[in-house]
Amino acid sequence: MTSLTTFYLSGIIGKEVFGADGDAIGVIKDLLISAVPSGLNDPNQQLVIGMKLKIGKELKHYSFKTFRVVKAREMLSVTCTDLIELSSDEVNNGLELVENILDKQIVDLNGRKLVRVNDVRLATLMTGTFVVAVDIGIEGLLRRIGVSIPIKKFLSLFRINIPAKFILWDDVQAFDFSNLNIRLSKSYAKLHTLHPSDLADILEDLGKKSRASVFSALDEEKAADVLEELEPQTQIHIIESLPLDKVADVLEKMPADEVADILDEIEDERVELLLREMDSESSQEVRELLEYPNNTAGSLMTTDVLSFKAGRTVDEVINELRIKKPEQSELYSLFVTEENDELAGTFTLRDLVVSKPMTGIIEIMKSEPVFLYDDQKVDDIAEIISKYNLLAIPVVDRENLLQGMVVVDDVVEDLMNKRRTNKR
Amino acid sequence: MFRTKFTKTNFYRNLVIFLALLGPGIITGSVDNDAGGITTYSVAGAIYGYRMIWTLIPSLIVLLVVQEMNARMGIVTGKGLSDLIRENAGFKITFFIFVGLFLSNIGNTTTELAGVAGSMEIFGVSKYISVPIVTFFVWILVVKGTYMIAERIFLIFSASLLTYVVSALMAKPQWREIGSAIIRPGIEMNTQSITMIIALVGTTIAPWMQFYMQSSVIEKGLKMKDYKFTLIDIVVGCLVTVVVAFFIMVACGATLHPGGIMINEAKDAALSLKPLAGELASHVFAFGLFVASVFSATILPLATSYYICEAFGFESGIDKDWNEAREFYGLYTFILVISAIIILLPHAPLIAISIWSQVLNGILLPVVLVSMILLINNRKLMGDYTNKPFQNVIGWGAVGMLVILSLALIILPVLSR
Repeated sequence: MTSLTTFYLSGIIGKEVFGADGDAIGVIKDLLISAVPSGLNDPNQQLVIGMKLKIGKELKHYSFKTFRVVKAREMLSVTCTDLIELSSDEVNNGLELVENILDKQIVDLNGRKLVRVNDVRLATLMTGTFVVAVDIGIEGLLRRIGVSIPIKKFLSLFRINIPAKFILWDDVQAFDFSNLNIRLSKSYAKLHTLHPSDLADILEDLGKKSRASVFSALDEEKAADVLEELEPQTQIHIIESLPLDKVADVLEKMPADEVADILDEIEDERVELLLREMDSESSQEVRELLEYPNNTAGSLMTTDVLSFKAGRTVDEVINELRIKKPEQSELYSLFVTEENDELAGTFTLRDLVVSKPMTGIIEIMKSEPVFLYDDQKVDDIAEIISKYNLLAIPVVDRENLLQGMVVVDDVVEDLMNKRRTNKR
Repeated sequence: MFRTKFTKTNFYRNLVIFLALLGPGIITGSVDNDAGGITTYSVAGAIYGYRMIWTLIPSLIVLLVVQEMNARMGIVTGKGLSDLIRENAGFKITFFIFVGLFLSNIGNTTTELAGVAGSMEIFGVSKYISVPIVTFFVWILVVKGTYMIAERIFLIFSASLLTYVVSALMAKPQWREIGSAIIRPGIEMNTQSITMIIALVGTTIAPWMQFYMQSSVIEKGLKMKDYKFTLIDIVVGCLVTVVVAFFIMVACGATLHPGGIMINEAKDAALSLKPLAGELASHVFAFGLFVASVFSATILPLATSYYICEAFGFESGIDKDWNEAREFYGLYTFILVISAIIILLPHAPLIAISIWSQVLNGILLPVVLVSMILLINNRKLMGDYTNKPFQNVIGWGAVGMLVILSLALIILPVLSR
């Protein structure tokens, strides 16, 4: 007896199981493992606990404890000493490999992309049989049609290797749980470790159902970051397929200008419902932005700006920034306003850092800054930004009251969209 | 934001709106009238006169039902057909379908390049010049990723296929005979005519179209509330396909069949127009053939490698670069190059390749249709949007007929021996 037997799922499915007396008992249809892969390092979730057998015309799940998989001279055989049926609870909490993993798309958490499962590799140790890895390589495909060994032998004549590609079970994140009642947030735990743009790429490649279910399992902060990164079409699909309150919670966490961009593409009725569901402060900002016609500075600007009175000192401003902890882009440019919010000047983080603490803002600010009117058409905004070497341009209304700013990131994004559209 | 990008001229803007309205159904329908289709319809018209026109009616019905199923599956699941087949039918069936699709599409691509060669020869350009140039052009188009805009331009030019309507009318067809041939269809029970019927159905309802259709629905991001427009789009697309096919068969049936002129290529059909309608008509016809051929020679290998990669789990998509999606670009290049080589071989059996790849389509079609009907009736996938009984009846009926025809094709030569 060997202490370690490794075998493939494709090698065992469809095989007959023999009893202790050598009689055929039934045909193997599926293997059941104890839990859904969550990307968490837990050896028990890799344990094979059950076997789906077809005996006569009946399909039933039996405990794997009484089964043994033996490999002798490259041939697999499965024997069974006793049939113990599993309770429906045990079956429902487990995960069937053929039904939910084989041929399905999974996320390779290490490579951060979607791949398709060609086979599953298992190993029998003293303590039980475990899922080790999923095969996503060409060799797995060849094995499925039963020509892996002859082709490998043939190619080895020419010293060509078919590279095997495996993903360790720890790095696997499965999606296709359509027939299971699983608490999603737990089973998608490790997805949170992915960068929002990687997650966005993966979501875009997924089918509609999985996309919505994965997205709703993310916490609001993460969901907001991911939603920002998605293509407009996917954004719309997600917003239209999730419940209003969930979407509203996510949108509240996003910058108002991004929200306005997305809502622009959605039916007015649903927009109204969403805005009502959001807290009044966020929705008010979005409403104002939505009123600006496309292609105006107002439609492109963010309303998240930091403005200070000219009488403050550098020290006071820095302290206030420490308390507020603003986002990176809010710090691109800082503004000085009069009592009535009229724009008086701008200053930068650099100005603050290089000045003595007791210096007045009025001494470091640049008065008469470059600005845009909110209803001004902005076809050449990129030129203005590059001409004056700015990270952000203030936007004021016709009474010179500060409304927001256009940041360079949004200008670049807009430029790229334009280029992409022209290319197509 | 910035959605009013196209304000330069009114003409340009109208053009963009027009193109935006073109839906997956109309695009698929236009791609369907490729060099292979034009050849098959012309040959059928020349050999059988009007006697094969009736096949277009059942073809239209099946085409409508099938494309509607594709659209519905795409809208509801958001997944491509090859994804769904792989996930639900297992790997062996997937493997069979895609090997078949791969082979038939090499044949189809060869036919498209034959269309390029033939149409350019009418303008006096040797195939040894036109085929390498077009192949390279098509290859660079996809590898450089400017394919989306090319698709739209092709589509405008493929309106030149409507010249077939004109040429058919100029051939003064006998409408009474056409009518009676449609009302009283007859099938001759011999290998040749059954091969022709399968080829006609196979080219009208090409299996790769189902994959293409479903992907374009997903790419357009259609939703269930757009369903009514999608339906109109599909009906228009199917009608375009069938109407053009009808007029090609009428034109060739009226001019070539009475004289007993046998043709082998779509090029011959273009040439045969010359004495009847003058050189201009012949040239316009040839131009239409050229555009349709280049269009399909781009889309076919692209679509094929896309679905194979999707089903087998390789990285794919024209937005990836060569290193990211090696299998995808490798397959694409292979299909194009091998097709170009076949065309350039002296004495290549082009007609046989063309007809037999359509026959392979006809045999593959029932397998794809069965998978589709099983998938679309799967409640787990489709929820409340599974097939209605009449759709299943037409679907299964089409499968039954195709299987009977395919079997007849295999059995008849044995019986007649």
